[in-house]
Amino acid sequence: MHEIQYIGEQLFFGKAGNFFLALSFATALIAAVSYYITFKKTESGNSMKRFARNAFYIHAFSILTVIGLIFYLIYNHRFEYYYVWQHSSTILPLKYIFSCFWEGQEGSFLLWAFWHIILAFFLIRRSGEWEAPVMMTVCLVQAFLASMVLGIHIGDLNIGSNPFTLLRDHPDMAGLPFISMPDYLSKIDDGRGLNPLLQNYWMVIHPPTLFLGFAATLIPFAYAMAGLIIGKIREWASPALPWAFFGMLTLGTGILMGAAWAYEALSFGGFWAWDPVENASLVPWLTLVGASHVMLINKKNSSALLSSILLVTFTFILVLYSTFLTRSGILGDTSVHAFTDLGMSGQLLVYMLFFAAQAVYLIIRNRHVLKGLSGEDNLFSREFWMFIGMLVLVISSIQITFSTSIPVWNKIFGTNMAPPQNVIEHYNSWQIPIAIIICILIAVGQFFKYKNTAPRDVNRKLALSLISALAVSITASVVLKYDRIHYDLLMFASIFAVFANLDYALRILKGRLPFTGGSVAHIGIGLIMLGALISNAKNEVISKNILDIDLGKDFPNNENIMLIKNDTLQMGKYFVTYQGKEREGIYIYYNIEYLLPDYTNGTFSKAFTLSPKVQINPRMGNVSEPDTKHFFNKDIYTHVTYADLENLDEGPSKEDTYNEPEVHQMNIGDTVSTSNSLVYLEAIGKPENKELTGLSEDDIVAAAILKVVDVNKKLYETQPLFIIKGKTAFSKDTYIDELGLKFSFSRIDTENKKLEIAISEKKGNKRDFIIMKAIIFPEINILWAGCILMIIGTLITIVKRRSIN
Amino acid sequence: MKTSYIIGIVVIAILIGVIFSTISESSTYAPFSTAIEHSGKTYHVVGQLNLEKDFIYEPEKNANVFGFYLIDVEGKEMKVLYNGTKPQDFEKSEQVVVVGKISNNEFIASEVLMKCPSKYNGNEQQRNNMLPQS
Repeated sequence: MHEIQYIGEQLFFGKAGNFFLALSFATALIAAVSYYITFKKTESGNSMKRFARNAFYIHAFSILTVIGLIFYLIYNHRFEYYYVWQHSSTILPLKYIFSCFWEGQEGSFLLWAFWHIILAFFLIRRSGEWEAPVMMTVCLVQAFLASMVLGIHIGDLNIGSNPFTLLRDHPDMAGLPFISMPDYLSKIDDGRGLNPLLQNYWMVIHPPTLFLGFAATLIPFAYAMAGLIIGKIREWASPALPWAFFGMLTLGTGILMGAAWAYEALSFGGFWAWDPVENASLVPWLTLVGASHVMLINKKNSSALLSSILLVTFTFILVLYSTFLTRSGILGDTSVHAFTDLGMSGQLLVYMLFFAAQAVYLIIRNRHVLKGLSGEDNLFSREFWMFIGMLVLVISSIQITFSTSIPVWNKIFGTNMAPPQNVIEHYNSWQIPIAIIICILIAVGQFFKYKNTAPRDVNRKLALSLISALAVSITASVVLKYDRIHYDLLMFASIFAVFANLDYALRILKGRLPFTGGSVAHIGIGLIMLGALISNAKNEVISKNILDIDLGKDFPNNENIMLIKNDTLQMGKYFVTYQGKEREGIYIYYNIEYLLPDYTNGTFSKAFTLSPKVQINPRMGNVSEPDTKHFFNKDIYTHVTYADLENLDEGPSKEDTYNEPEVHQMNIGDTVSTSNSLVYLEAIGKPENKELTGLSEDDIVAAAILKVVDVNKKLYETQPLFIIKGKTAFSKDTYIDELGLKFSFSRIDTENKKLEIAISEKKGNKRDFIIMKAIIFPEINILWAGCILMIIGTLITIVKRRSIN
Repeated sequence: MKTSYIIGIVVIAILIGVIFSTISESSTYAPFSTAIEHSGKTYHVVGQLNLEKDFIYEPEKNANVFGFYLIDVEGKEMKVLYNGTKPQDFEKSEQVVVVGKISNNEFIASEVLMKCPSKYNGNEQQRNNMLPQS
């Protein structure tokens, strides 16, 4: 067959990209092997180490070049490349170029590999004797990640998905007519563009932070494996600990950013919905928290050693499992934000099993050493309670994992299970009791000393915070009136955690900042629980439509309310008006004004305006985004759950869409009302310019000078004319399009000295409506404050741990 | 050794509880015929919209009831009443999962999940239309 000469393609970049992809894979393997030789053969160690480092540097350079090339291609809209065409478009603002890069799986794997490289540079510089065994695992992981983007086909076996595949070579495009067109490139108007959900600032910062967290979980795992390999079974935890805290920090921040995104930009009305993708990133965080705590006691007490090794392994494997869940397409119907299946689930499974098997093998090989170290802890030691806390976290993660994995169980056992009917209820029924226990452990934990404490000592020191927490939480429970005892208990436990840690930081640590990391982070956790509890359990849907027909118990939800343009409805203590929509680029803003009534004089004062929006995206579907008013002690969340998007561009039509006129007999100075305004007859006069109206000197013309004030006190003036031309009398109508009003001056009643003014309203005045939902989230700022404290506390701990090493 | 045994037993007991609760609280994917047989029990029904019949949505009367007709995998069509607003781009979804139960010959859904390939996988037809045709 004759080869088609395509016009305008820049194939060089793809070829270069593929070269560097292959190079990155090969050098990662070479680096792993040479690091292995480095610590096996100490005599040739130093020169081998240099070689391994150089191999790794070439690997790093290759990955960075690949990333740079993809950015170059996206930036220049090189649509001959499938990845660029699939994930970007020319109309997209530049700030979303990053989101385009990691929207696809290939980009997100590269982002992950990028963070490993950054972390590896720190390891090479700082880890000393640990460098070779730790870097070996890192390089192996890099080889696996590089293989994910290789895109090699061996027979039926596909290894990786290549980001430099040409549009015309992509299997999805096979057989399409453009492939036989030499000048197809010049005929492509635009790329498919970015998923509208990702066109949000949180989506620019959330993925890289989360992936940094994912990347960070590798380092403690690599240290644990290194310890087992080189026989430094007790020593690995100490240098790995700052990394574990760093992972906790970044993964935690990443998850919270996702929660903030869900709260700010998604429509489910809350920051956490136990969605499989959320769960998949939360679980490794929980096990990592467990891991870092047992690693702390690992140095003081050897019994925690095996748990530390197991937990860092679980964390790393669970990160891979979470990647598997979100990328294999197995979640299918159960999650909204999973990646497309690229047929790489097999490869991911191999990746997971490889490292799991490695860990199991190394643990079994070292079983005698590990067994010799275990011992019993005293019931009144800090170690014991930290150990219990770790077990509770493990139970929590198993519960979440087990329920989230329902689609996986279906696949394995051929069952037909679906997620529980009320997912949130299901998870909460387990996780709230767990949260209560965790909070109490957080409260009491630090008051136990390592090894042994006198029970009386603990009681005495805890008494103050216990009593004050009881007092505050009982008062708060009376005020808030929870409908479940669970909530009262969590309220107490979280306040107890905050008070006890505050007390510990101030009285026992005497506020010495470097030591307060744990306390500050724990106060943060307590506040997160407290804020989550109050804002969730006490949130109030104020958009309830009490006028709806009650349809019985099958239809309990009446949270959405219809609001017609310019109508005002009471919602909670507010009166809410829908003022109409405005189009701005790809967004349609619905302006919703909140008014506060003043009952003494019956007037309203404007409280604030919210503009929830709908992002119009004809290619990928429209996405609606809520808007939230933040107060110190509450948020008011407003979301348009339904709006007519079909008739957006309906032009202003005149006669045919007006309702029957309402006829008013008016004197000068009279005021009449329409559905959206007040009309005041100011005077009767002569029209300003007779010629413009196309009338001759003989005709009799009178103008009714009308002042119209709308609900926003905006003033309009209009002058309908009454004309007598020869023997016929008629009105020259006027319009105010903004208000959809038509005015006719139809008669002068000379006997009663009244003017007849007919006002017609556009039918559309009634038709433009939205269905909205408004929720008050009380005290949600406690949650965000807790997040910030948790981050600060963890940072303090990292700094302190680093200075110890 | 005593404490560790007690802890071990407690942990195992809780884990059995976890497994049991997930299995007992989980719903089942089923066709309409099963849901009709066990009316009042909650099921997940997967199906496709019958776009030839109009949606039922009268927000003036009640903004929280949205009705449509769904054809399940066995080809059976049922009227579904969803306790909520009409989801955005509902007509474009290729597959719909309704969660709910049969009551008075109608399927009362507490939740409606749409699978919109256009959003995540790209509707193939629509996507191919973006490419030069001739």
